[in-house]
Amino acid sequence: MSIQRIKAILLQELYITRHSLEVIMDLFYFSIVNIIVFGFVSIYLAGSNNPLAAHYILLGMILWEIIRVTQYSISVGSLWNIWSRNLSNMFVAPLDLKEYMAAEMLAGAVKTIIILVLIGTISHFIFNFNILNLGMLNLFLFFINLTVFAWSVGIIILGIIFRYGTRIQALAWGIIFLFQPLTAVFFPVRILPDFMQKIAYALPPTFIFEAARANIVNPSTNWHYIFISLAQNVFYFIIAIWFFNIMFNKSKETGQFARNEG
Amino acid sequence: MNKVLEVKNLTKKYDHFTAVDDISFFVNEGEAVGFLGPNGAGKTTTIQILLGITSSTAGTIKFFGKDFNKHKKECLQRINFASAFNTLQGRITVWENLLVFAHLYKVKNPKKKIMEFINYFEGEALLKQRYWDLSAGQKTKINLIKSLINDPEIILMDEPTASLDPDVVDKTLSFIEELKKSRKITLLYTSHNMDEITRVCDKIIFLDHGKIVAQDSPLNLTKQIKTSTLKLTFDGKKEEMEKYLKSQKLKYEFLNEYTVKIAIEEKLIPSVIFGISKTALWITDIEVQKPTLEDFFLHIVRGKNYVNSKN
Repeated sequence: MSIQRIKAILLQELYITRHSLEVIMDLFYFSIVNIIVFGFVSIYLAGSNNPLAAHYILLGMILWEIIRVTQYSISVGSLWNIWSRNLSNMFVAPLDLKEYMAAEMLAGAVKTIIILVLIGTISHFIFNFNILNLGMLNLFLFFINLTVFAWSVGIIILGIIFRYGTRIQALAWGIIFLFQPLTAVFFPVRILPDFMQKIAYALPPTFIFEAARANIVNPSTNWHYIFISLAQNVFYFIIAIWFFNIMFNKSKETGQFARNEG
Repeated sequence: MNKVLEVKNLTKKYDHFTAVDDISFFVNEGEAVGFLGPNGAGKTTTIQILLGITSSTAGTIKFFGKDFNKHKKECLQRINFASAFNTLQGRITVWENLLVFAHLYKVKNPKKKIMEFINYFEGEALLKQRYWDLSAGQKTKINLIKSLINDPEIILMDEPTASLDPDVVDKTLSFIEELKKSRKITLLYTSHNMDEITRVCDKIIFLDHGKIVAQDSPLNLTKQIKTSTLKLTFDGKKEEMEKYLKSQKLKYEFLNEYTVKIAIEEKLIPSVIFGISKTALWITDIEVQKPTLEDFFLHIVRGKNYVNSKN
């Protein structure tokens, strides 16, 4: 792996983000609007019979943004190059998939940290909810697990786009929201019907959201849930890389990779 | 001479369709080789396979004597690519684009390198502009600069002048010719434009239906077409001319009542003119058109019944 080539992709990500109103809207604007809307909902709920639900909502929203922004960054990052007919130019340079994916994952994580700091600050100063109260270690572990899950989803979506072309590019924005109910972002898993609970417990973020909600009243780390989530994440990440490689090779075999831009 | 590129038995099949059919060729150092052929001949697919963005079904590719599949990164470091169909990232500036590619190719002192090319091609004014704001000609210039950023030993060019106006095409070709001279770069060049290929390339590989149907210098290829075109303007009756041409069993086409175009072997031209002069017809103008690469192209595409139809 070459650090300089990873730097090249990161530089391009930085330049695209700086020049594109769409990226700023998709990442910063929606994150800020979401936190403000959910912040007011939480204020409303705080006055109801279940004030804890108010914190669940806000906490869920902040942690959900880790998944959304990271996945968006990976999947849409490549679409910018496909739309500009530049992806082939990059892959006829001595850039390999490992370098490209590493750079995209890193770029996603950096954008997420920036947005997390931004919405965390808004949440603290406007809605009196300090995400740091979860504990730095917990927050770090949550961040790692949610980020790895988002990487896996992003990589799988990217593989599908490489294989089948931009006609299914809407997946890059839309499919992640399927996991919002399935991973019980805003409510305890027990609310879900039995069959959905089984699906939920097969997904790493579920354990993180459950652990995070518990941390609101008790900041001790739920290592059991963290390890289950981590183990599942390792499994899904390996599957995602394997799947992406198959899709990428198939895309080159069918000529779709070169056709994606033309 | 060193072989920069050597392709053996390259084949690409898509289900039941064969896009590239068992082709073999080589490109020597410093040589400019043109890939010519009609749409769907397999030119672009071949280029894509040579760049590693489409996989082959069979065959071997060697760049600089090294197996491309086994030494892909090493080979790609010494190659570059320019095409009218692949542009750079439109949202960012020219400078930013070139900087990204300089890093991708691990260019030492990238800023200095970019400025060296920008100054040479007088592109300073474009540096701060977003790539998608450039004109087609400016984009071509920047694409070519990008294709030089790693000091490649061979550049693969897939119709680099497509959809450019004639003035910009001429400037681009002058630039490519200058590159050939000053940097002794090896080129593999695809185009539909015969004049362009004749101007830039030392050797031509003709592809049709995925197969190589001819490969030689432009001059030798045109020599394979034996018939020239004799264009006669005459005074007299069209019927009389037609009667004579039929008697000589010549292929002809009347452009109007007084002008006829005749497909004929060059050595037979004097006797035909002499024969016509013995009739009641009066020849007022004679024009001989020698076969061009375009004739060879059409000969391949349309088969042997093709008669030069220019003018």
